[in-house]
Amino acid sequence: MSIPSATTAVGAIALNTFREAIRDRILYLLLVFALGLIGVSRLLSMLTVGNEEKIIKDIGLSAISLFGVLAAVFVGVSLVFKEIERRTVYTLLATPVRRWHFVTGKFVGLLLVLGMIVGLMSAALCGLLLLRGEAPWALFPAIALILVELVVVTAFALLFSSLTNPILAALMTFAIYVMGHLTWSLQLLKGQLEGGLAVGLVDFLYYAMPNLERLNLKAEVVHGLPLEPGSVTLGVVYGLSYAVLVLGLACLVFERKEFN
Amino acid sequence: MLPRVLFLALMLAVGTLAGFSRVALDRLAQGSSGDPELLYLPNGKHLKILSLGHANVLADGIYLWAIQYYSNYERKQRQRYVEHIFGNVITELDPRYVDAYWLGALIMIVENHDLEAGLRLLEKGIARNPDQWMLPYLAAWECYHGKQYARAAGFFEQAAGIPGAPVVVRRMRAGMMTKVGSLREALALWQEIAADPASDSLSIVIAKRNVKELQARLDVEILQAAVERFRKENGRFPARLGELEQGRYIPALPLASNGRPYRYDAETGTVSSKAGRILGKQ
Repeated sequence: MSIPSATTAVGAIALNTFREAIRDRILYLLLVFALGLIGVSRLLSMLTVGNEEKIIKDIGLSAISLFGVLAAVFVGVSLVFKEIERRTVYTLLATPVRRWHFVTGKFVGLLLVLGMIVGLMSAALCGLLLLRGEAPWALFPAIALILVELVVVTAFALLFSSLTNPILAALMTFAIYVMGHLTWSLQLLKGQLEGGLAVGLVDFLYYAMPNLERLNLKAEVVHGLPLEPGSVTLGVVYGLSYAVLVLGLACLVFERKEFN
Repeated sequence: MLPRVLFLALMLAVGTLAGFSRVALDRLAQGSSGDPELLYLPNGKHLKILSLGHANVLADGIYLWAIQYYSNYERKQRQRYVEHIFGNVITELDPRYVDAYWLGALIMIVENHDLEAGLRLLEKGIARNPDQWMLPYLAAWECYHGKQYARAAGFFEQAAGIPGAPVVVRRMRAGMMTKVGSLREALALWQEIAADPASDSLSIVIAKRNVKELQARLDVEILQAAVERFRKENGRFPARLGELEQGRYIPALPLASNGRPYRYDAETGTVSSKAGRILGKQ
């Protein structure tokens, strides 16, 4: 049997993962909820006094982000586990497919799914705003960084999925999401410390944990504030490089995993 | 058949029970004193931490709830905590939420008759949104309604200085300067509006009329003061305004906008202008 190239193997697994994931009912449930919420934002905006579009944009962007994270976690943590539980992974790994091909393929497949649902939710939000005569283009930098945030969360979901069972993996991924939005508090903690090893440890944690707040431009785009030059590009570079690092760890963990 | 009937009867019974208990709970809640839901709403700075990057949508939710809450006239003591909800919660969650500043201020000023609390909220909004002319503009109007004209003039000046402020803000500022008696500053502002190519045609018409009227008022004031000095030194009123110029009480005799001298009553020593009469003693 000839050894497939990395691109062929990863591509085939990604495509298969994509097909498998879009059959998942939980994905449709999340998508329906998210699209429903974006639709309901129009009704909620009617209750406000003042700028109705602000409410629609806020709810729309938060729905894209939250439901994207839910999809990344719930679908992501079960992908590897399902293969192990159904024992299909044995068949797959018996072929000349490397283990990192498998993990990377799963990762890329899930990203395709997330890209699709973020695309659908963004189209719904943009459509709603266009119907109201409001240009939605200013929201795109925030949506792009939401997608990057999902890439990071997906990488963690896959890492934990390779380590433990889906429930624990989901909890750990959520914990990373929460910590990723609270890393700034480590700087506050550092201010309270007198120095020495503790400060070094806090600094290490600050840079080791993902800073997901750096990928959050929702408030800026909704209020039409000028974005810091390079903030989107740097955010994309930071998020993607961090995700690749976590994916590398996931591959390493999966390489060493023993299947009994 | 029987199990199905029993099942339906059971469902009907529990449904009715749920309905009655819900009505009873609502009645209990209506009878309770105070508005405990407000007591436990923490500061927005703390809520922001819990929002995990979704502070804006949380601010929207509380803002929508606050609108419904404060517009319920049946609620007892509904005005309690209004400054906390708008000043410490919503605007801390989303410091750029301009609507929350002005609506909160409006509730405090109009409903609570607390101008200072409303202005505190607006000033907080102005400090955090220095590019929004609407906030100082609204603060100015609230001061105007509260008969604090000097403060109103200050806020109009602040609003007019913000890029993007429409000409109407500059018009209001000029009008307020007239109101507080700073006629020369008001005249300069109206002249600026009249000469600005960015001004709309209506603003130019209004500005030109105000320039004419203010110029007349200032001329009348100068002439009246000169007449008074003339009377003190000569023991009589001048027979005509030309005497003021001849006696060097004024460097030159100003003329009305129609090119003629201002009206003068030699018996009472009163100088008047048609334009000044229109403008009145504002």
